[in-house]
Amino acid sequence: MTMDTQLLEHEMEHEPSAQSPVGLRTQAFRRLRRDPVSIFAFSLLVFLVLAAIFGAPLAAHLTGHAPNAQYANALSVGAKPIGIMQRLYEANGTTHNPHGSLFVLGADSLGRDLLVRVLYGARISLLVATGATLLALVIGVSLGLLAGYLGGWVDGVVNRLTETAMAFPNLLLAVGIAVVVGPGILNVVIIIALFTWYYPARIVRSATAATKQMTFVAAARTMGARPRRILFVHLLPQVWGPLLVYATSIIANNILFEAGLSYLGVGVPEPTASWGSMLSDAVQSSMYTVDLSLALVPGLALVITMLSFNLLGDGLRDALDPKGTRR
Amino acid sequence: MRRMILRRLLGAAVQLFVVTILAWLLFYVIARFTGASPAQRIAGKTASAAQIALVAKILGLNKPYWQQYLIFLGHLLHGDFGYSYFQDRPVSSILWPATRATTSLVLGAAVVWLAIAAPIGSYGGLRPRSVGDVAGRGLAIVGMSIPVFWLAPMISYFFAFQPTQGRILGLPILPSGTTLFPITGYTDFGQSPIQWAYHLILPWITLAIGFAAVYIRYIRTLTAEQLSEDYTRTAKAKGASTRRILLRHVGRNVAPTMTVLLGADVATALSGVFFVETVFAVPGLGWTGVYAIQNLDYPVITGVVIVAAFIAVLANTIVDLLHGVLDPRVRRLAAH
Repeated sequence: MTMDTQLLEHEMEHEPSAQSPVGLRTQAFRRLRRDPVSIFAFSLLVFLVLAAIFGAPLAAHLTGHAPNAQYANALSVGAKPIGIMQRLYEANGTTHNPHGSLFVLGADSLGRDLLVRVLYGARISLLVATGATLLALVIGVSLGLLAGYLGGWVDGVVNRLTETAMAFPNLLLAVGIAVVVGPGILNVVIIIALFTWYYPARIVRSATAATKQMTFVAAARTMGARPRRILFVHLLPQVWGPLLVYATSIIANNILFEAGLSYLGVGVPEPTASWGSMLSDAVQSSMYTVDLSLALVPGLALVITMLSFNLLGDGLRDALDPKGTRR
Repeated sequence: MRRMILRRLLGAAVQLFVVTILAWLLFYVIARFTGASPAQRIAGKTASAAQIALVAKILGLNKPYWQQYLIFLGHLLHGDFGYSYFQDRPVSSILWPATRATTSLVLGAAVVWLAIAAPIGSYGGLRPRSVGDVAGRGLAIVGMSIPVFWLAPMISYFFAFQPTQGRILGLPILPSGTTLFPITGYTDFGQSPIQWAYHLILPWITLAIGFAAVYIRYIRTLTAEQLSEDYTRTAKAKGASTRRILLRHVGRNVAPTMTVLLGADVATALSGVFFVETVFAVPGLGWTGVYAIQNLDYPVITGVVIVAAFIAVLANTIVDLLHGVLDPRVRRLAAH
């Protein structure tokens, strides 16, 4: 949904600029640094990455709770999980901690530490989303460059392919494929890339097709530059701007995609913590009506991450707008 | 014009053909190598090899693949989606009521998201950088960031579950046991239109919020673009009121683009129904699909994928044709 919007906005607005890319880049960076909202969003994302890489094992070490370990004592009578900032004193996996072990954000319906799991879930989200985005960019940029530069039947085939793919409810087909090939992190990465490559492909195609008409490309060709040199030295640098904006929204979308697949039980397999599967545990067992934090913790993690990516994407787009006007 | 319509319809037919091939490859060919074959599923776990072979023969699974596909396609064209592995009835009898429910959900949600986005978006385009515009854009970006599979349980919790506990938004102001909105359930439009709408209000709003956020941005950009055109300035100079400019001039020029966007987003919304329908127990395609996935009921999954793709292609085609009607430039372009 957000991807389609931004794609449309790009297709409506993007005209390749004749300015040298280096000048535009410096300018854009300067503008971005002056935008407090973008700085804030960027800092949040840096914090998220640090929390995923270092915070997760640190939290597991400090609390003594492994992400997938179940603590039967963390469930009270009626299987209600213990709440936020509760300590557990019984010797249940807490032998190295005589002061009892702290459940900072409480426990889930199986007695697992919510804080540790939400941090390990961030790892899965970022890993899958970044991996899928890189794969989608590699496929999309290559096909887009080829289609835009060669034109003719190559362009026709790529266009039909992207149009057909965009006309369908992605998640539905993705779920279908996931059901057939089975769950697994690598499978999820490939499936998500399979459903996102055509967004960068369209952007790169339209930008390349427009740029190759420009005189500097004709000049390069006259001077004997080979197609490969024209593609990588002259055309690719012209599309990096919109692509960068787009990559942020692709990553955001892929985080949602992974969470959605895991929510439906066809993504990252249990018991590995993922924000989507944590939400689905809470919702499908209806346990979140007993303890709302089960749904709030992974849900807010997702919302804050998406918000940061969306804000940063908007800031980047404004900064890269050659007219330099804030919309 | 007629050539354009014919070409568009042909394109839609090709798209549907591609979907049937994909669905068949996925659920009838690839699935055979990754999981149990259809013959095994139908014959049951305790079936002997001979029994499985017999079922395979009855199903035509021993024929060459291209013949199998043609049989599959022939059945589809007659509305025969096969027989469910799990529920004891033909898939088509499951799909039809589900399609009705999902259509109600998606179309109703589209009305809700347009009703939310049109005033906020056009106000933002009319008065850029005003307090209302900044607030509207803030709402939009927050709305875009809330995943529907989180929004659905939250709305269900705060507006359906909590009132039964005597609270609304956490405040204990309602008598205990109030039913503000039904937590789950669905009534067909044919039985009682009022109950139908009442049961769908929360699902509509849930599905609509993400799209409303995106449409605030679309409408804002489109309105601002039109307002910077010469014709709106002329209209203003002639003394037309803002209301008249927005409704008659801007609205008329934005309508074709909006229709195309709506068509594409109906297809996107079909992904959202998975989450909304399971949380609110609306027996639509998403709900059917999720239960079929849990039971590995391949004929039903195949049916859901094909019907959803059909709805998406239909929506896009209708909208493209409407675009030609609404925007004379498209017709002229097509005439060449």
